[in-house]
Amino acid sequence: MRLPLGLLVLFLALLLVLVPAARAEHGGPAATPAPGGMWAARMKAAKPLAISAAFDERGRLWLVRVERGHVLLEVSEDGGNRFAEPVRVNPEPEAVSADGENRPKLAIAANGTVHVSWTVSLPRPYTGHVRYSRSTDGGRSFSTPVTVNDDLAEVSHRFDALAVDGDRVVLAWLDGRDRKAALDAGRDYAGSALYYAVSSDGGATFQANRHFAEHTCECCRVALGWQGDQPVALWRHVYPGDIRDFALAALDGAAAPRRVSDDDWLLQGCPHHGGALSADAKGALHLVWYTQGKTRQGLFYRRLERDVLSEPMKFGNDEAQAGHATVLATGKMVTLAWSEFDGKAYSVWIRQSPDGGRTWQAPCRILTSEGAADYPLLVARGDQSWLVWNSEREGVRALPLEGADSGADS
Amino acid sequence: MIARRLLVFFLAMCLAMPSRAADLPRPFDAATPAALARDFAGKPYILAFWSLECVHCQGELRLFARQLKTRPDLPLVLVAADSPELAPAIAARLAEVGLDPVAHWAFADPLPERVRFAVDRKWRGELPRTYFFDAAHRAKAITGELREAQLSAWVAENHK
Repeated sequence: MRLPLGLLVLFLALLLVLVPAARAEHGGPAATPAPGGMWAARMKAAKPLAISAAFDERGRLWLVRVERGHVLLEVSEDGGNRFAEPVRVNPEPEAVSADGENRPKLAIAANGTVHVSWTVSLPRPYTGHVRYSRSTDGGRSFSTPVTVNDDLAEVSHRFDALAVDGDRVVLAWLDGRDRKAALDAGRDYAGSALYYAVSSDGGATFQANRHFAEHTCECCRVALGWQGDQPVALWRHVYPGDIRDFALAALDGAAAPRRVSDDDWLLQGCPHHGGALSADAKGALHLVWYTQGKTRQGLFYRRLERDVLSEPMKFGNDEAQAGHATVLATGKMVTLAWSEFDGKAYSVWIRQSPDGGRTWQAPCRILTSEGAADYPLLVARGDQSWLVWNSEREGVRALPLEGADSGADS
Repeated sequence: MIARRLLVFFLAMCLAMPSRAADLPRPFDAATPAALARDFAGKPYILAFWSLECVHCQGELRLFARQLKTRPDLPLVLVAADSPELAPAIAARLAEVGLDPVAHWAFADPLPERVRFAVDRKWRGELPRTYFFDAAHRAKAITGELREAQLSAWVAENHK
């Protein structure tokens, strides 16, 4: 290794400072910290960039972020230029997961109830609990956080997804309890399982956890939305032979999950790269996902309309790590957003279809950042699509997208 | 002056205690892939990425541990796609799977995409990810847990 001397010295000095500091939190300099303990300490100290955002019916922009183990709620009256003082959701700091595929989730009900969920990491690697809290006084105070998974073994209950419709609150997550039971019984188990819990009283109480699907990919976020009054989920599944393609299902429905990507991605690993979905007013589902399968590679969009899947449409530049796509249908407009990295800077790209996903405008680069950045988020404000993007240098930027064209390039 | 003496002291420490240095990850940034290519000029090597958060990486680490027992000269560059801040956790995990001590690297860039761009522009961060370089540095990328047969085949062909 030939590294600049200065860098080497700086690195060693940093280690001398950081290593004892990390160890001190784990009871004595002689103790080797458990990896999980290190994670917890780091998460409690961190101010990660991963956020979630939502507009309420009055057009106020809400967001949740994580700082030093607290989930913080902020609200902006002016479309994201200024945010009011944050309110703490969880009173006690926790090892809140907030790193891309993991982020606190936020949903505002029509009656103004603010619903927040997050995953807290446990000391053992790859384990966690799904946590939930709500505010019924407009975000001024929050209920005592509860753990939603009713299995409390130190296994994975992570990658929570939250969807709210009136008084119905649905939380879905990737759950390791079936895997543990199988392994304890000496059997193999591919991946994790999809579990969910429903509240029909606006989040005051949750019914018993429900097992929904076996053999999901372990570390790709779950996408959750509403198709009419049906909660629907999109997740990366482990099909026989370690094929990690996407499955879609209505959680309350009797129909078996439907395979919605036939990419044939054979992978003994997890891409940490989930999909996204959005239902339009006519009930069509718009899906985006990432794959490196035999059949196709890159980012793709397709819609499920009257039970028919459209041909996958590729988007994004493979030479710039195009990834972390999201999709939002508002009225007839369907918007895709994703991030790219050109070697120097991150950029957020969008592509819009004014006719429900049939024809598409040219891709358009909307924002850039030369520092660390979160994934791009699409948020509906009534029938308008907004892009919300958090980056280290610029902070949270929010802008409406309708009428966006290449002239908006920054 | 003090800084210079410290520098000399650190360097002396590194040279005097190679086994201790193995606990510490070396910084892997956007310049490292080119530096490795120079260091291994004309020679084959394996560039293997893993992470503390990667469920499927543990089996691959164990495979490397077994291979290194029979072939301690395996030209393996083992890189954790984790921050060097996590050095103790990285070292603990490597010890746990029997890779202690071993020279290893960790991502030393707040922009992991910048590091990946230097390794392979198309790599979105899937782990584990292994690059087999032959003596002419033609790369073969493998995503997902490496199988023993794949590693053995590469060793037989490139590292006799």
